[in-house]
Amino acid sequence: MDQQTTGPAQSEIVDRARAYVRENFLYMRPDWTLGDEDPLLGSGVIDSIGVIELVEFLQGAFRLAIAEEEITEQNLGTLAAIGRFVHEKCHANGSGGSVRPRQVA
Amino acid sequence: MCGLAGVARARPQGVSAQLLERMAAAIRHRGPDGFGLHADDRIGLAHVRLSVIDVVGGAQPMANEDGDVRVVYNGEIYNYLELRHELQLRGHVFRTRSDTEVLVHGYEQWGEGLLERLNGQFAFALHDRRTASLFLARDRFGILPLFYAQRGGDLYFASEIKALFASGAVEQALDPEGLDEVFTFWAARPPRTPFRGIRALEPGTWARWRDGALSVRRYYALDLATTEAEPADAVERLDELLRSGVRLRMRADVPVGGYLSGGLDSSIACALAAQGSPYDLRTFSVTFDDPQLDESAFQQAVATQLGSRHAVQRIGGGEIARVFPDVVRHAETPLLRTAPAPLYLLSRLTREQGIKVVLTGEGSDEVFLGYDLFKETLVRLFCLRQPDSRWRPRLFDRLYGYLPPQARKGDFWRRFFLNAGSPDDPLFSHLPRFRLTTRIRDFYADRFRAGLGAFDALGELRQSLPPGFMGWSPLGRAAYLEIVTLLSPYLLAAQGDRMAMAHGVEARVPFLDHRLVEFALRLPDRSRLRGLREKAILRRWAEGTLPPAITRRPKQPYRAPDVPAFFAGTEPEYVAELLDAASLQRTGIFHPEAVAGLVRRCRAGLATGVGENQALIAILSTELWHREFLGAPARERAPASSGALGPGASIAA
Repeated sequence: MDQQTTGPAQSEIVDRARAYVRENFLYMRPDWTLGDEDPLLGSGVIDSIGVIELVEFLQGAFRLAIAEEEITEQNLGTLAAIGRFVHEKCHANGSGGSVRPRQVA
Repeated sequence: MCGLAGVARARPQGVSAQLLERMAAAIRHRGPDGFGLHADDRIGLAHVRLSVIDVVGGAQPMANEDGDVRVVYNGEIYNYLELRHELQLRGHVFRTRSDTEVLVHGYEQWGEGLLERLNGQFAFALHDRRTASLFLARDRFGILPLFYAQRGGDLYFASEIKALFASGAVEQALDPEGLDEVFTFWAARPPRTPFRGIRALEPGTWARWRDGALSVRRYYALDLATTEAEPADAVERLDELLRSGVRLRMRADVPVGGYLSGGLDSSIACALAAQGSPYDLRTFSVTFDDPQLDESAFQQAVATQLGSRHAVQRIGGGEIARVFPDVVRHAETPLLRTAPAPLYLLSRLTREQGIKVVLTGEGSDEVFLGYDLFKETLVRLFCLRQPDSRWRPRLFDRLYGYLPPQARKGDFWRRFFLNAGSPDDPLFSHLPRFRLTTRIRDFYADRFRAGLGAFDALGELRQSLPPGFMGWSPLGRAAYLEIVTLLSPYLLAAQGDRMAMAHGVEARVPFLDHRLVEFALRLPDRSRLRGLREKAILRRWAEGTLPPAITRRPKQPYRAPDVPAFFAGTEPEYVAELLDAASLQRTGIFHPEAVAGLVRRCRAGLATGVGENQALIAILSTELWHREFLGAPARERAPASSGALGPGASIAA
């Protein structure tokens, strides 16, 4: 468990991303178990429009800016990758965490 | 163009006029100008007529002199004058000027060999009393429909499935495998339909029914083998074929108009029509209030250059949703797009303006490699040859220019294509599309999914491919798949014939003149797709004939709003009714919770991707389709377009 206090814990990022993906991309497959390392693209969970939605969610929820060149499979290809990427960005920027991320319906 | 229906009995128990009238009434919209039927102890034939050639003399069913051969026919034989002359030289005596009579005497003369001589779009049923058989045939590419069902040794056949149901003898039930094909390819692949026990006669085949047994044979097969080099006179030959194809399709005793999309193909068809028309050419277009879909500037440019009298059907906020139930009723299949709806409205406008025959540009994108799918195939192959290249996949960003720019670039976009399948797979070219489309399956109800068992739509398609398939180029294979999975069963049917004939408009398709198709398919791939420039030879031909804005314009696919058509403004009442959990539960095809999730996203304006748009239209149209065709027996429901058959009704016994 990430104990840093300047930004959201990596596990929290993963959980919130998982909840978002389930709610918006896996609503038709409620029995689908989405593991941290399951590919989001290869398994057909998210298409390229979905990636845009996901990026918008991450930007809004964690108060960060994601550049176009950062929209890669390495950064967003799995929940674990999202956790690492967002965590690193929040801490590198010194942003996030001090303000409770807004809730996304 | 017209509609036909009929029954062939295994035993000589007769066919009632009432039965034939019921079947004909169900497809009255196809032929509002006349009605006729013939019945004897084994065969009943019914026909509704749209008078286009020999308005006075062309009534059907039509027989030869002694009544041994009798036909009901839907379509046009464009080379009928040449065939008529040839048959007259062989001693046949003609009583009318109609193309129908060419079928009667041509069959007498050549039997099944007649079909190879026909240049046209047709579906017909011919009773041959000499052999006590019924002969059914359909044109090479499936421009016109023909369905049949066998019940207790009897054969029921018709231009549309609703006529089979109107007989009261054909079961109304869904075919899960047919539906699964719709949710894979956009349409069930003939002979399959979404209805259990109802078959579509495959394009390019004929069937003979005798003594209760039906045999089907192919008379036309696509050949996608190309030549090494482009013939030196290729453009001259193309010119001849285009002009001849359009000239033949201008043969009619009524004015012929044109649908003008604003793209290259329909512009070519209309330009050649304008040159050959004895009337002021009438052109018709769909315009959209949504500027991303609208092509009116290009349509207007062509209409102005041609000097045509141009009329437009404007599609604003509510039109699609208002007519969508009627569209599904005419299409007789679930749909994945709303694109047929504007064409339904366009045919209504066309008919209201007094035009009942139009030329369209269908078929060109398949044979001249116009679609992005063909470029996508090339780019995928190019990338897979050097999988480590970082710049090659950037070519994907140049595809599908009509999608939002942010959605068609980047790592995820590229990987969608690169990971879609291996070049060794015969379906390589279409795997990204099939993968995207089959996301609709995620919404299946558990029981429906279980009912499908091990059915494998893609596996069956692989099994059906012709022997030489893997010897064709990758683009040849892609074109073949496009023709058999999309052009014939969807574009020419649900989006073509059905929408035009809903209002008694005949759509003629000059790019599917088989001589032109065969010429184009033999050209080297690079003559048609040069680099990423589609329809290269066609553009070369069109320079000087059409405005440069048209000849240089990249292909823009015809699209209509999908999810926004139902959720952007006032939501039609039937949406909530049909997508309600209890209603979905009764229908049993889709999972109510999954659909609820999709509807929630649609209402929130979040369903912007292709996958969710397709899923919503698929689910909504399936529920409309189910309510229309499987909700109650057809005989208890009066089709909106039927009613009395009106004047011209006649019975010949």
